[in-house]
Amino acid sequence: MEKSRRYAKSHEWARLEDNGSVTIGISAYAVEALTDLVFMQLPDVGSTVTAGESFGEIESVKAVSDLYAPISGKVISVNTELPSQLETLNNDPYNSGWIISVQPVAVEQLDALFDQEAYDKLIGG
Amino acid sequence: MGLPNHRASYSDQSQKSVLRVWRDPSAAGGLNMAADEALARRSEETNSVLMRLYGWQPHTVSLGCFQKIDDFSRASFLAHWPVVRRPSGGGAIIHGTDVTYGLAVPSSHNWSKRTEDLYSAVHGALVQELNDRDLKARMVEVVRREQEQNFYCFNRRAFGDLVVEHPIASSDCGNCKILGSAQRRLSGVVLQHGTLLLHRNPQMQGEGSHPGLGDFLQSKAGSVSDVIEGWLQRLADQLGSQLIQEQGFSYTKDNEGIMRRTNRYETAAWLNRR
Repeated sequence: MEKSRRYAKSHEWARLEDNGSVTIGISAYAVEALTDLVFMQLPDVGSTVTAGESFGEIESVKAVSDLYAPISGKVISVNTELPSQLETLNNDPYNSGWIISVQPVAVEQLDALFDQEAYDKLIGG
Repeated sequence: MGLPNHRASYSDQSQKSVLRVWRDPSAAGGLNMAADEALARRSEETNSVLMRLYGWQPHTVSLGCFQKIDDFSRASFLAHWPVVRRPSGGGAIIHGTDVTYGLAVPSSHNWSKRTEDLYSAVHGALVQELNDRDLKARMVEVVRREQEQNFYCFNRRAFGDLVVEHPIASSDCGNCKILGSAQRRLSGVVLQHGTLLLHRNPQMQGEGSHPGLGDFLQSKAGSVSDVIEGWLQRLADQLGSQLIQEQGFSYTKDNEGIMRRTNRYETAAWLNRR
């Protein structure tokens, strides 16, 4: 059974894993809205991210967008293959299109994010 | 990610708005980028659409957010030029004989909803103005991938770029791009940058040299200033808003926030980030 995702208003998703880490990515809606992706800049393993603050950037043909952390924590893993295979974000944004994994400072921060139903309502889906 | 939160169409809500425009003095790259960022934050704070037009002094090369500094360094004839990195994407621009705009639109506003809509509004307004002055201008609709990759912005072709067809247009594309734009989508606000080439830069030769609007305009069609005035009014009309041209500068040069932002854009860490 698929683990439940939580979503930030800024369209990043977060998923609590069995080992206590939180996997972060961007929603299918965001990928669709960004259109032709050309470049992505990600944080280093060992760096820290703060909820609501930028942890990376993504460039489409006509726009650069910040990626905002949905939860605070220490980056323990980065999907380093993603910047050279950006089509993965289009094909599988919630699994192989994951972006970073963090060890959360306070896992309760997930409670402040949207659940699937609320997020669907947010984007009008 | 600075994206809209609804699948709303561009025109499904009516918002009577004001487009406030400043004509700022020519400035160095770091200050210009700082002023654009300040404009964006002010737009977000006041929930209003703001625009500034400005020039560059001294003549400066601006790089797209993700361009490699090594690519700039390899262009040896640019070695003596000041250089700054923009927060927006796209290719390198040789500034000095252009007018650049920064247009800030808060995320709550319809104009920020879709990337291409804001391009179409800004570029479409200029296309109309030029066509009415008997200059064949249009927006690029179809591009090949390789046309998006050139080091120089004005050698690239991307959706929405404004090109003119004219006998002196000698590019491989058979037309000349005179206006290109790029966006930075921040949390709460979209900042769209664009550069309108006014004249060929006498300090440039080779593939970085491009003619500008003034090189195409016939005298009977009016001046560059006339075109810009008409463009701004059409933009306001197209966006269903009232045009207000503000007096003074959009920023205060000795403001602490501007100085802090300027310093950041002038650091080696920002310039050499890629």
